Amino acid sequence: MTDTTTHDFDAIVVGSGITGGWAAKELCEKGLKVLVLERGRDMPAGTGYLGEHAPSWKLPFNGKPDRTLWEREYPVQSKVYAFSAANIQFWNNDRENPYAVDEGTPFDWYRGNVVGGRSLMWGRQTYRFSEQDFKANAMDGHGIPWPVDYDEIAPWYSHVEKFIGVNGKKEGLAQLPDGEFQKPMSWFAIEETIHGRLKKHAPDITLTNARTAILTEDLPGRSACHYCGPCENGCSTGSYFSSQSSTLPAAQATGNLTLKSNAVVERLEYDKATGKISKVHVIDANTRARSAFSARLFFLCASTVGTTQLLLNSASAEFPNGLANRSGVLGHYLMDHFLGLGVAGIYMDDTDKYYYGNRPTGLYIPRFRNVAQQDQELDFVRGYGYQTMINSSNWTSAFNNKGFGAGYKNALREIPPSWMFYMGGFGECLPQQRNRVYLSKTKKDRFGIPQVAFDFTWGDNEKAMAKDLLAQGERIQKAAGAVMSIAFGDAEKLSVPGAGIHEMGTARMGDDPAQAVLNKHNQAHDIPNLFVTDGSFMASSSCVNPSLTYMAFTARACDYAVTQLRAGQI
Amino acid sequence: MNRRQFLECAAILVSGATTGRLAFALTEEQMVYLASAPDYTSQKVDYFSPAQRKLVAAIAQTIIPRTDSPGAIDAGVPHFIELMVAQWLNDGERSIFNAGLKDIETRIPEEHGKAFDELDGDRQLAVLEALEAAASDSPWYVQGNIRRAFISDAPFICQIKELTAWGFFTSEVGATTVLRYNVMPMRFDGNTPRTPGESTWAPFNFYH
Repeated sequence: MTDTTTHDFDAIVVGSGITGGWAAKELCEKGLKVLVLERGRDMPAGTGYLGEHAPSWKLPFNGKPDRTLWEREYPVQSKVYAFSAANIQFWNNDRENPYAVDEGTPFDWYRGNVVGGRSLMWGRQTYRFSEQDFKANAMDGHGIPWPVDYDEIAPWYSHVEKFIGVNGKKEGLAQLPDGEFQKPMSWFAIEETIHGRLKKHAPDITLTNARTAILTEDLPGRSACHYCGPCENGCSTGSYFSSQSSTLPAAQATGNLTLKSNAVVERLEYDKATGKISKVHVIDANTRARSAFSARLFFLCASTVGTTQLLLNSASAEFPNGLANRSGVLGHYLMDHFLGLGVAGIYMDDTDKYYYGNRPTGLYIPRFRNVAQQDQELDFVRGYGYQTMINSSNWTSAFNNKGFGAGYKNALREIPPSWMFYMGGFGECLPQQRNRVYLSKTKKDRFGIPQVAFDFTWGDNEKAMAKDLLAQGERIQKAAGAVMSIAFGDAEKLSVPGAGIHEMGTARMGDDPAQAVLNKHNQAHDIPNLFVTDGSFMASSSCVNPSLTYMAFTARACDYAVTQLRAGQI
Repeated sequence: MNRRQFLECAAILVSGATTGRLAFALTEEQMVYLASAPDYTSQKVDYFSPAQRKLVAAIAQTIIPRTDSPGAIDAGVPHFIELMVAQWLNDGERSIFNAGLKDIETRIPEEHGKAFDELDGDRQLAVLEALEAAASDSPWYVQGNIRRAFISDAPFICQIKELTAWGFFTSEVGATTVLRYNVMPMRFDGNTPRTPGESTWAPFNFYH
């Protein structure tokens, strides 16, 4: 290293979630002394998972939501399926850490507030973007061209998949590239039946295992899944990927990691003389004590909204509109997948079959619209996929049956003579300048940091896509032999923005510094020692779950940053 | 202790799964680990009068009776209901519940000459069926089945039915002896034979 200035650390990583954990691991393994700053509380692997394997009779109110507490402390977080009394300690307290919900337009911002962040309660579905996804912006003119293509990122996808452990099935589809998979989880009999019928009656549809970051084979320090079911309560056997199960232990093992929890990064300091970031300013969430740490490299992995807030709040004389924001796009082009629309089908087949164990994932129907080229008859660009789930109903969906006594009891107890095959769509969202995160001019949080506010509305393309998603869902259920199908969701309104928990795009990458915050290496165009590798770098959203892409770009950016650092270029 | 039992234990940490060795870490935090916490229904509550307690128990047992398997009373449901009415219902819901219970307490002796809990089973059933018939246009019968939803203005009969079913199937007795419960299946098989009359698995989580 040519830089002879004394620094506290070689690199500082802000955030310890999915990408922060990856940055910590990669940088530590390359020999850098790394400080990870996490604004949330400490969350020790295993012992911190207080609700893991808790039976219903141990939960407050036997599992009924604590409405008073949830409405007071967690009005946003408690809306998501994964939030429960068994994992409440992972989530952000909305009252303590608010955002400006009454400014702009409605947006649900789901946040962890612990070490590991949302890697502890994420959905775990793990897909590669395709060549088509990386070309989409250049082809149809929405957003700016991706500066990276599929072949460039593919080795990094492999690097990540092998380490985190992804179970799945190879399908040979261009629109959903295969990866490095552990053996797939097995299927319900009814799923096999549906699969067989789709092959015959809807051959354009692929039904495959949801590719999921859950082990079906042991990895060092981690056990294969024990099928208890609710991953989001934490997994002390490390069977699904989280920072705790995977990246942080690897970083720790190098001896190069320092991890500070309760460390709220207020702003980054830009040094005019060197043209680089010199320090981060930190507030202790408990004591409010202030401190600052210097380093050669800075990686922002604080989640899309968190990172954007930090950059906007780090404005200076040189960067009056937000750090590294000479382009003016910082905060804009916010995207999220729309979801909550789909079709559920009732099946009377395989009613002599049941199941054992709780498979913590489902099957997936990859995109089949506008594949390879634009389907001429469609009034939207891009596409959508469906995540599917088998729901064998139980008493929770029958307790409001009419009647009393032995008959009522039995109806709630027994296995119903039908299956439900649920298909929930995930649609691609176009990058639009008007959709944005900004700092409130009037509201501050308890640390004196301006709160973020959102302005986000779905566009006509998403609405047109949603209509098609519902119609195609009906077609698929019919082809699969559903005796009845029920469409759900409103194609005009779509989901509350943010509900997809795939917010991304507010510090996008691109070759043109006038149009992008980051270059193709996730490095700020304006500041060579600043890297942003959480979802904010995304130039488009595809329709697949994005976390794998964040991880792959993080690992690639770390490799580049250390090479540049060693070459004296940073 | 075998591996399966081991995993059911509260605070565990993996160390080197490749060698199959699991390290045990007992810390102070295990004291608040939910799996080792006291049952929710182990709390004391003194909300109902002794007479009301009898009524609630008789209603719960009419909704879910003991058959060849345990019923609501065996599973401690009346105590669960008393806790939930005292702690979980909001003021509006609680006043609906109290009025409904008061109605049973005063009207039934007037109509039948004795308290609800002293009526024979057929009479008890008829009383509840009449309440359900009068309540049948409540949206609870349509929307109440969206998992954890609770229709705030649902009539008394719907409230007590929901609390009875919830308290029963989430109790240890209900989940493990009436339903089937397995927190540590170790494998997934989606193609097991189904035998007539078999019970569902107790759900592992209660989504919204």
